[in-house]
Amino acid sequence: MAKKLFLIFGPVVFAALLLFALLFSPFKLNHITAKTENKAALALSPNVLKGQVIKESALSHEKFVPFFGSSEFSRFDFSHPSVLATKYNRSYTPFLMGAPGTQSLTHYFQMQLITSQMKNRKAVFVISPQWFVKKGARKDAFGFYYSPLQSTTWLLDRKQNNATDRYAAQRLLDMPSGNANHTIMMALRRVAKGQKITHQQRTYLIYEQRLLQHEDQLFSALKIKNNQRKIDRLTKQLPEHYQLHELNQLAVKQGEKHTTNNRFGIDNRFYARRLRSKEKKFKNFEQNWTYTQSPEFSDFELVLDQFAASDTNVEFIIPPVNEKWSKYTGLSTKMLKQFDQKIRYQLTSQGFTNICDLSDKGDVPYFMQDTIHLGWRGWLAADQAIDPFLTQKQTTPTYHMNNKFYSKEWQNQLKVNN
Amino acid sequence: MLSFTPYENPMYFGILGLGLLPIVIGILCGKRFHWYETLISVFFLILTFGGPKLTQGFALIAYLIYEVLLVWCYTKYRKKNNNTGVFVSAVILAIIPLVIVKLTPAIQNGKQSIIGFLGISYLTFKAVQTIMESRDGVLKAFNPWFFLQFLVFFPTISSGPIDRYRRFKRDYDRVPKQGKYLQLLQKGLHNIFKGFIYKYMLAYVFGTMLLPKLEHQALMAHGLSWSLVGVMYVYSMYLFFDFAGYSLFAVGTSYFMGIETPMNFNSPFKSRNIKDFWNRWHMTLSFWFRDYIYMRLVFFFMKHKVFKSPKTTANVTYILNMTIMGFWHGVTWYYVTYGILHGAALVVNDWWLRYKKSHRGQIPHNKFTEVFATFITFNFVCFTFLLFSGFLNKMIMMK
Amino acid sequence: MDTKETVLNVLQDLTGSDLSDDLDDNLFENGLLDSMGTVQLLLQLQSELGIEVPVSEFERSEWDTPNKIIANTEEMLK
Repeated sequence: MAKKLFLIFGPVVFAALLLFALLFSPFKLNHITAKTENKAALALSPNVLKGQVIKESALSHEKFVPFFGSSEFSRFDFSHPSVLATKYNRSYTPFLMGAPGTQSLTHYFQMQLITSQMKNRKAVFVISPQWFVKKGARKDAFGFYYSPLQSTTWLLDRKQNNATDRYAAQRLLDMPSGNANHTIMMALRRVAKGQKITHQQRTYLIYEQRLLQHEDQLFSALKIKNNQRKIDRLTKQLPEHYQLHELNQLAVKQGEKHTTNNRFGIDNRFYARRLRSKEKKFKNFEQNWTYTQSPEFSDFELVLDQFAASDTNVEFIIPPVNEKWSKYTGLSTKMLKQFDQKIRYQLTSQGFTNICDLSDKGDVPYFMQDTIHLGWRGWLAADQAIDPFLTQKQTTPTYHMNNKFYSKEWQNQLKVNN
Repeated sequence: MLSFTPYENPMYFGILGLGLLPIVIGILCGKRFHWYETLISVFFLILTFGGPKLTQGFALIAYLIYEVLLVWCYTKYRKKNNNTGVFVSAVILAIIPLVIVKLTPAIQNGKQSIIGFLGISYLTFKAVQTIMESRDGVLKAFNPWFFLQFLVFFPTISSGPIDRYRRFKRDYDRVPKQGKYLQLLQKGLHNIFKGFIYKYMLAYVFGTMLLPKLEHQALMAHGLSWSLVGVMYVYSMYLFFDFAGYSLFAVGTSYFMGIETPMNFNSPFKSRNIKDFWNRWHMTLSFWFRDYIYMRLVFFFMKHKVFKSPKTTANVTYILNMTIMGFWHGVTWYYVTYGILHGAALVVNDWWLRYKKSHRGQIPHNKFTEVFATFITFNFVCFTFLLFSGFLNKMIMMK
Repeated sequence: MDTKETVLNVLQDLTGSDLSDDLDDNLFENGLLDSMGTVQLLLQLQSELGIEVPVSEFERSEWDTPNKIIANTEEMLK
């Protein structure tokens, strides 16, 4: 009988032990090649953003600079930061982190996986006014870019329990993602209440983290979108030498060519696919929209806190909205102005002074590619700030963080006095 | 509080393995610990219906009390009397909870009934067949405590396969011989691993990787498109591998407990005709409908000479039987149409087989026609699954 | 007429073939009987021999060859 039992269950037990050893071993299971790193820097794939191993490996090289943002990065055209950096052999390569639906909270948690790589480094952060809606980050979008690896790592890294931790834990608990795993949820509840996580929770999280890291190591590199061909095609459109005047003319020419089917200066394809059939509906549709009252302001403070904690020097870019379009939809210019003042106050009052504020450029022709995304001349304008910031020596900033930005009062405050 | 959908993740299987260990050791030593089997069933029921799903748990308890009392009363009554009216009332009372649960979303805009819980229809099948077998006098020794064990047998509680009272009792009362049990263990383990391949690899490829993309494309195309054809096949594959995988887990787990729960699938896409298909697809459901609805309706119609010819009897009953099955899946136009279509297909199939028989020699029958028949059956089935998926409904609602 | 003959006659009526030489053939597998035929068989046996076989009693695997049907019928007549 024993022999028969062994023949039946032996292979299963053996395989289970092997798998167990593999998944929970403290060793790294793969090696990320330079090719994968380059591909990942342009991929905008959710598995790269969610995971750790690829970002960590790429950002361990000085040349990769994290570019945080959202959907604008997927609008590749000749003046896109990745294209310019490639063509003119700049000393930096943007590592694009952003996709439709990534907002401050997603970035805060995904940054937890690269905190040591961000230490004393530079970064670029594109702030979208559209994130700052009344309801804040969308739960499903957050869930799409969230991985339990982010929360386990974050929980294990909490040293002392401060206002930032409590706020972040509470925000994660507001999301279905934070409640998906029982132990993570209970640990988050403790942090949100200002307590330390228990010994058992810590032990569980350590093994959970190992398991998730190995999952990340084994599978994340398998599915990375290849955008290299797009970049190669676009670099060919650029002149050999960087000359702003010439590039600006090229931007105008490209803009003219691509915005012929509408009166808003919107890219033909975007207009035809997304707006033409519904154009009438948009008339005065956005009159009552506001970007000045939102929990996003506090979520954004989390990001700033993380930058301060890792002494990261950041260039912030505030893009405008396409003015021809916003006039049509009735989006309030006054409200946009207020938003700009509010976000600038939050940045500058805490020592974040590298701001490339393009918010008043919404009326410049061919600045925007569509309604809200930077386009031909817009990226070029941003480049005037990005390139010097990244290639020249910068003074080390000193940050003085203020917890008032986590308050409901700040989230809802309309005017700032400065 | 831990809470699982049965067979959903590695942790569930880990707990399952540990829970089954005493049973396996017991049977290998020639002993069955019924008290432990009850304990482990209760434990897994709490895992499935506890915590966040506690309302379902209460609904389950209320349902069990109701059904056990009902069947118990009927069997007591049946020992002395055999009135058809009482029998019919008992059956109606047994299915009323299920009817309420199925009708609620249709009446209240998709809202779920509070008396519902995962697996209510499978328990109802077990209760109804027990009443019917008592009526026929083949089930004489009814034991309410055993009946409860039969209902809540945890490996199959949420989605079958549907076992039979007398068959289950034979296994439950007996300790399998060691040699036979070793075979069961081997088969059980094989089933569970096949289930892993089906549910966690193939169903994942079809259902999670391919289906959403195709559905999105098909919705964007507004109307007929190649993507819609893709949705049809990919959904069919997903449905099969997901459900067959689940059934393999349930059967495998039962084997470990020395209970030979019947198989649910037998290469359904190899079917040569639609009748063959229903002998291979979701077999325990289709056999249940055959034995407790189809045969009984036919028996009734023939005995009372409702229709002149046996052919008409068979045809009418096919349509009735499959339409009821459609309603059982849910009260929506697409489930009911799915049922009616299958009923009609069975009628056409019977007609064709008769025609072929009476024209023997004129209609060729060879390897090619067999492959062709399989091809037609497969495509028809996939088309009905597209209906079944509700995707067409979604497309219509989008417009 | 003995039981065996009666049963074979009923089966011949139902299936259209003489089964007296194929007493161990599986009637369901070779397509001669189906659920409908089964009910007809039960009703026919009832009217010719006066035995009452409830549908529940009908376990397919125990009624799938002429020999088994004959044996079961004889058992019920006892």
